[in-house]
Amino acid sequence: MKTTTNEKKEYRGSIHQLQKDLMLAWYDQLDQAATTGIPPTVSMMISGNCVELLEGFGAVPLYPEINALQLAIRHQSLDPILAAEDLGYAADNCAYVKADIGCILKGITPTGGKLPTPTLILCNFVGCNTYLKWFEHLAKLQQAPLYVIDVPFMRAEEPSRSDIEYVVKQLQETVKKLEQLTGRKFDYDRFRQAVACSSRTEELWSQIKHLARRSPSPFDAYFDAITLMGPLYVYRARPEGVEFFEAALAELQAKADARKGVYEQEQFRLVMEGPPPYPYFRTFRDMFAKWQACAVASTYSTVGGLWEFGFRHDPKNPFESVAMHMIAQNVTNRNFLQRYEQIRRYVEEWNADGVIIHFVKSCRLFSAGQGDMRDYFTKQLGVPTLYIESDLEDPRYFAEAQTKNRIDAFFEALEHSKGTAAVRS
Amino acid sequence: MRIAAGVDVGSTQTKAVIMSDNGGVQIAARALVDTGANVQRAAERAFDACCQEAGVHGGDVGFVVGTGYGRYKIAFGNAQMTEITCHAKGAAFLCPGTRTVIDMGGQDSKAISVGPNGEVVDFVMNDKCAAGTGRFLANSAEVMGISLDEVGPLSLRAQHPVKIATVCTVFVESDILSYLAQGKTGEDILGGVHIAIAKRTLSLARRLNIEPEITMTGGVARNVGMVRALEELLGRKMLVSPDAQFIGAVGAALFALEKLDQSFESGIWRGEHAVPGGH
Repeated sequence: MKTTTNEKKEYRGSIHQLQKDLMLAWYDQLDQAATTGIPPTVSMMISGNCVELLEGFGAVPLYPEINALQLAIRHQSLDPILAAEDLGYAADNCAYVKADIGCILKGITPTGGKLPTPTLILCNFVGCNTYLKWFEHLAKLQQAPLYVIDVPFMRAEEPSRSDIEYVVKQLQETVKKLEQLTGRKFDYDRFRQAVACSSRTEELWSQIKHLARRSPSPFDAYFDAITLMGPLYVYRARPEGVEFFEAALAELQAKADARKGVYEQEQFRLVMEGPPPYPYFRTFRDMFAKWQACAVASTYSTVGGLWEFGFRHDPKNPFESVAMHMIAQNVTNRNFLQRYEQIRRYVEEWNADGVIIHFVKSCRLFSAGQGDMRDYFTKQLGVPTLYIESDLEDPRYFAEAQTKNRIDAFFEALEHSKGTAAVRS
Repeated sequence: MRIAAGVDVGSTQTKAVIMSDNGGVQIAARALVDTGANVQRAAERAFDACCQEAGVHGGDVGFVVGTGYGRYKIAFGNAQMTEITCHAKGAAFLCPGTRTVIDMGGQDSKAISVGPNGEVVDFVMNDKCAAGTGRFLANSAEVMGISLDEVGPLSLRAQHPVKIATVCTVFVESDILSYLAQGKTGEDILGGVHIAIAKRTLSLARRLNIEPEITMTGGVARNVGMVRALEELLGRKMLVSPDAQFIGAVGAALFALEKLDQSFESGIWRGEHAVPGGH
C-alpha cells in the first residue's frame, strides 16, 4: 500500500536562494540607512504600494508587514506581541500591528541587523482603519513624519475619474513632501523608468501565475508565491526585480515544459483565500502536501497588486497608473463582489477542485464576510469550500489538531466525489 | 466471513465496533471506554474489549480503521479517516435516508450534509470554543451538583425554561449560579441550558442546507432533553439510533470492510489514509 512521503518534502528551487539573496541585500541597505542615513527610507503598506514613486528619490521601501511576517515564520512573533499587549493593545488587535510595535519597543529586527527610522511614514492604504492607527503609532514611537494618502475604496467596477485625480494629486503632494524631507529633487525620468520596470516585472509575474493553469502546476500559487512576493514589493520597479522574475519564469517554465509539478502526482487543485498562518507556515503546507494538493491561485498573492487579469503600470501615464494600481488593482481595496468574481475566475480558468478560506482572527478587514463567501461558493456555485480559522501572526490561535482534522475531512470528501465520478465514467 | 473494526478515539470516550460481512453487514460487537490521558491505551482497551465481546482474536480482524481526534495514536490500526467522513458513513448505514448529521460530542459539535451514498457533501464545525458541545452540559451538571445522565430527563420537566444568555462554557456557570440564587428550579435552569446549546448548534448547522432525514450522532444523542430541544427548534423529528454514540466507529468499520473487499479498490479508497508501518 502506498504511503505518504510528501510531508517532509523540500520545496526549494534555485529561485528560493536568489530570493533569499535579494531580500538580505534589501535588509543590508536598510542597515546601511540606519547607520548613515543614506539611502532615504519610506515605510509603506503592502496593499497597493507605490514603490515606483520612491525610485524617483533613490529611496528604499520599509514594509512593517514583511518584518512582522518574517518574525512569525521564524517562530519569534509571540514575544513582541506580548510586549505590545503589556502596553495595552487588546487581544483582538491586529497581530501584525502588535508584533511590529513590540519589535520597536524591544529593539528586535527580523535579521538581527539595524532598521532605520524612516525618512517618511507613508500610509498608502486606509481601507483598513487599523493601518492608519498602526502608522500613527509608528510615527509617535519612531518620531518620524507621517503622511496619509486617502485612497478611495472601490465602490463600483471601475474607479471614477475624480477618484484617480484625487489620488494623483496626493501622490504629487507626496513628491513635494519627500523633496523637503530627503533634500533630493524628484527625478521624473527615473520615476518613469521605474514604472516601465514595474510593467515588465508584472508581465513576468503574470506569466508565472498563468503557468499554474497547467496540470500539474509547476509551482504552488500560495506557498511558493509567497516566496516571490518579497521581491515583487521591494524590487518590482528596479532592474534587479526584472532579472529575478526572468530567472523565476525561466525556471518554472522549464518545469512546466517537462511536465514536472509541485507533486509527483497532483491530486487536487485549490484556490486559496486569505493569508497563511505564518507561525505554522510549514506545518500548514504539510497538511496540503499530504494530499498532494496544489494551490493554483490565491487572493493573498494579489494583496500588493492584481496583475494576472491584465493590468500593468504604464510609463506613458506614470502617475495615473500608480493611482490606478493603488485604487483598483490590489485585492484589499476592491469590494467583496469583485473578490468573489476573482475567485470564481480562478476556479474556472485555473481548473480548481475547491476553495480554501483561511479566516484570520485578528484581521477583520480581510476576513469579515468570509462566511457569506463560503455560502456563495458552496450553495450558489456548488464549489467545495473549506473554511478554517487561525491567525496570520499570533501563534496562540492555531489549533493544529482541529485544523488538520478539517483539512483531512475536506479532502476525504473531495476524494470520494472524484473517485465516484471516475467510477461512474 | 470478513471481519473488520472501527475505533473512534474521542476527546472524552473511545468507542470500538467490530462488524462482519457474511452476505449481510452487521455489528458483531461494540465497546466503550473513557479515553483518559493515555490515548493509545484507551484505543487498545476498547479494541480488546470489543474482540472479547465478539468472541474473536485481534488477529482475526482483517482491517482496522481509526477515527476521532486520537486516530493517529492507534498503533494497531491500518488506516485513519476523520470522524466527519466516518459519521456520515455510519449514519447512512444505521439510519438510511440520512441527508444531514448533527453530531454533538464531548468537545466539538458539527453538522454534515450527506450524499445518497453516505458521502460527505459539506460540513461545518464549531470553532476553537466548546460552546454547544457536551462540555457545556457537563459543566452545567457539575455546577448544579448532579450527574450528567440526569440533566436530560430533568430538563424535560421544565415549566418555564430560563434564558441562558451566554454561549460560553465557562461563563455559563455564573449564569446558573445567578438563577439558583434567584430561586429558579433546577428543571427550569436545565431546560434553558438545553435550549441554549440547541440554538447554538442549529445556528452552526444552518450554514448548511438542513435537509431531512436529520440524524443525531455523538454521545450527547443519548440525552433525551437535547434531542427534544433540537427537534422543537427544527420543527421535525430526528433519527436517533440506539448506537448513536458508536456511529463514528461504525463508519470506520464500514470503511474497513470495504477495504477487505477488493472490488472497492477503484479509486474511492486510496493509500493516502494509510498508516506507515500499520499491519
